[in-house]
Amino acid sequence: MGLDRRGFITFLVGGAAGTLFTPVPWKLLDDVSIWSQNWPWIPKLKYGAKGVTPTTCKLCPAGCGLDINTVGKRPVTAEGNFSHPLSQGGICPLGAAAVQLLYSPARVKGPLKNNGGKFESISWDEAKKILAEKLSTQKGSGNVALISGDENGTANEVLAAFLAALGSSDYYFMPSDATAYATTWNKMMGGQGQVGFDLENSDYVLMLGADLLSSWGTVVRNQKAFGQKKGQYIYVGPVQTGSASVADKWVPVLPGKESVFALGLAYYILKAGKTCSAKGFADFKEYILTNYTPSKVQALTGVPANDIKKVAAELIAARRPVIVSGSDFGQGSGSLDTVAGIFLNLLLGRLNQPGGLVALPSVQAVDKAPDLNQLRQNSLINFISDVQKGAKRPDVLFIYEANPLYALPQASQVASVLDKIPFKVSFSTFLDETAAKADLILPTPHFLERLDDAYTPFGAGAVTYSVSTPVIKPVFDAKPTPDFILELAEALGVDLGISSFEDVLNAKAGKLGADWEELQGGQAYVGDKKVFQSTLSLPTQTLSGGLKMASTEYPIYLAPQAKPYIGNTKLATPPFGVVTIRENELKGRDFYVHLNKATAKKLGLKQDKKVKLVSAAGQCKALVNITETVMNDVVAAPLGFGHTAWDDFSKGKGDNVFNVLTVTQEKTTGLYVWNNSQVKVVKA
Amino acid sequence: MEGKKVAKTKSCAVLPFVTFIVGFVGALVLGWWGFPKVLYSEKAQPIRFSHKVHVEDQAMDCEQCHSYREDGSYAGLPTTEQCAECHMEVMGEDPDEAKFVEEYVNEEKEVPWLVYQKQPDNVYFSHIAHQDFDCTECHLDVANTDTPPVFYENKLSGYSKHTMKMWQCERCHAQNGASNACYICHK
Repeated sequence: MGLDRRGFITFLVGGAAGTLFTPVPWKLLDDVSIWSQNWPWIPKLKYGAKGVTPTTCKLCPAGCGLDINTVGKRPVTAEGNFSHPLSQGGICPLGAAAVQLLYSPARVKGPLKNNGGKFESISWDEAKKILAEKLSTQKGSGNVALISGDENGTANEVLAAFLAALGSSDYYFMPSDATAYATTWNKMMGGQGQVGFDLENSDYVLMLGADLLSSWGTVVRNQKAFGQKKGQYIYVGPVQTGSASVADKWVPVLPGKESVFALGLAYYILKAGKTCSAKGFADFKEYILTNYTPSKVQALTGVPANDIKKVAAELIAARRPVIVSGSDFGQGSGSLDTVAGIFLNLLLGRLNQPGGLVALPSVQAVDKAPDLNQLRQNSLINFISDVQKGAKRPDVLFIYEANPLYALPQASQVASVLDKIPFKVSFSTFLDETAAKADLILPTPHFLERLDDAYTPFGAGAVTYSVSTPVIKPVFDAKPTPDFILELAEALGVDLGISSFEDVLNAKAGKLGADWEELQGGQAYVGDKKVFQSTLSLPTQTLSGGLKMASTEYPIYLAPQAKPYIGNTKLATPPFGVVTIRENELKGRDFYVHLNKATAKKLGLKQDKKVKLVSAAGQCKALVNITETVMNDVVAAPLGFGHTAWDDFSKGKGDNVFNVLTVTQEKTTGLYVWNNSQVKVVKA
Repeated sequence: MEGKKVAKTKSCAVLPFVTFIVGFVGALVLGWWGFPKVLYSEKAQPIRFSHKVHVEDQAMDCEQCHSYREDGSYAGLPTTEQCAECHMEVMGEDPDEAKFVEEYVNEEKEVPWLVYQKQPDNVYFSHIAHQDFDCTECHLDVANTDTPPVFYENKLSGYSKHTMKMWQCERCHAQNGASNACYICHK
């Protein structure tokens, strides 16, 4: 009996019917559906005990204490540390993205060597060998320079000691109001220590340009002080910034003219008989009373004399006023910008008083390092200008946690100047614009992976010291730069008198009288010491700066805006930040600049029109947003867009306003200034 | 001639029935016996962990390793760090213990234990809410084993054969009057 066709079909039908009474079809359907939900690229949760590790944020100079929430010892989120004086439980948009940035696609995954435009992986030993060879010929010749983007870390002492041992004094900090104050307060006025502002105890905070509540100085702590304010906050500046929008009063004043406004106030306060003991007071007073009369100040600032008089009267009446002057975007201030603010504080007797301007002592742990306050007075712009002119020609340039090719004024020109330096080494965590052009990239770990510190961040009202403790082992092959420099020094036979970076921080804690264990546990040291001033003088030569005439060729003032959620001078927009950018800040690949209706009408511009901002230095493309948050004849432009390196979250979005910022040199002081850039706004 | 025709007709009526039954039964056998053999691969734990040695010889309590954390969440399996509180160095003769110390304690790595009841990430299961049940209502009874049971891994889904399915959770919730609302397990 053979199996014919019919029999076979019947067998199959039987089999099919039987299958329906087995788990095969049902189980397969279920499993395939589960299989389709478990693609390998779908992230899986990692379970474990929840924990909290305190540390100090190094993403900006504000030095906030953070609590890093961990699961199974793996960091997952960052929160503000309630017991830390500079965060008090608060956090900024960059700090909130701290954990996310550990896994940023822009991270440099290990040491890289630039081979004709293409980066090749090398080992740390090879990197050390290459540099040892390069530097052994430099020893004693001073042909090595360094740019640091770490404003307050003790790592600077190690790096500066290394440079000094090689015979170089070319150590430069990225420009900021911290460096501007170091130049005016310490160099021009003979002040001692570092300037700070005791906002917590003030009953009248006058912000002259300094956008205290958005981006300036110890921003989170400033916001906390504002939250518990005892009196008024007044903002003087061209744009209704985060500070202006919540302040008790916004006084619109053109960019860079806040100092003129301050001298207008000084006029009334001097007339009221206030005085100060600083050397040169008589000349200073005389100059102000002659040249900054109410009518002149009104003409220069556009603020009615009566309004200035009213603010002056409020300052005199306040019990504990403080004047915080600075650049709207935290850099590029002229000498008068800071001197005028300091002078007002002196005139009102606010130096080293509760709720006033305070001078805070510096503490150094590395004996062979030059004084960091001195180094802050070195002008990076001056150095770049010298390199451009050929007056300086270092063979090797170290760039530590800084992105000068993006975040210096006239940025596009900086790149061509730095090209003249034959060998550049970037110690960057991320592949930023500067690292992309470097000959070697030696990645320093993300701050959650390394030991670091922050000593009295600029603007803080008291000596504050806190330590970053590693929360996780480096995710990539990164090495802390101070450790690498110590290895390099040893390879070169240079004795820095340092055994390890941890010992340096420990020594610093010891000098302060702080407990190292407590610091590592996230507790900040707060000291009440202030520096008595005996050599203060008033630099009258700075006063003529306010009387400078505006450019008629470039009739519109540029007011750059620093917004942490878009990024800062060393960090591009983090992925978290991208989703917080508003529709009137970025549209497609174009970013917006902001003008008021009157200015737009004068220039014949309409909402969403494509324009170019053209300055003597460069240009950038943007769209127009019409808003009454900007004063007449001013264009407000956010910094942080227009990255060409980094990752998809930040690259190719908008244009870089740093390209348009125009550097001018003060005739009387030689200081470079770019907080009063002027532009033409033309249709693109 | 007539008789032959009848016989052929009978044969034609029976044969399809037989082949149908053969196909039907064959499918049942393959489906119930063969299919699981093909669907699951048999895997052994990375370390032959003996509960018996720990519970009987060392008189350890279950809670010493399987405990609730302070916040009420369940710690599940102990971490290498916890195991290393005793096994910092090799303590006995067992080669698997030596392997554990060498490959995981010394390397500071977690053991990739195969979890018989691992639930997907989208399921929120609270052990403390179920603490009145015996562990073995859901878990394999491993407490007295010297060698951990074979782990049957579903080749398609990657989960263990013993991982509880949603209908089982729902049945138990229904039987015990607990809510079966989505958000009870899917947060």
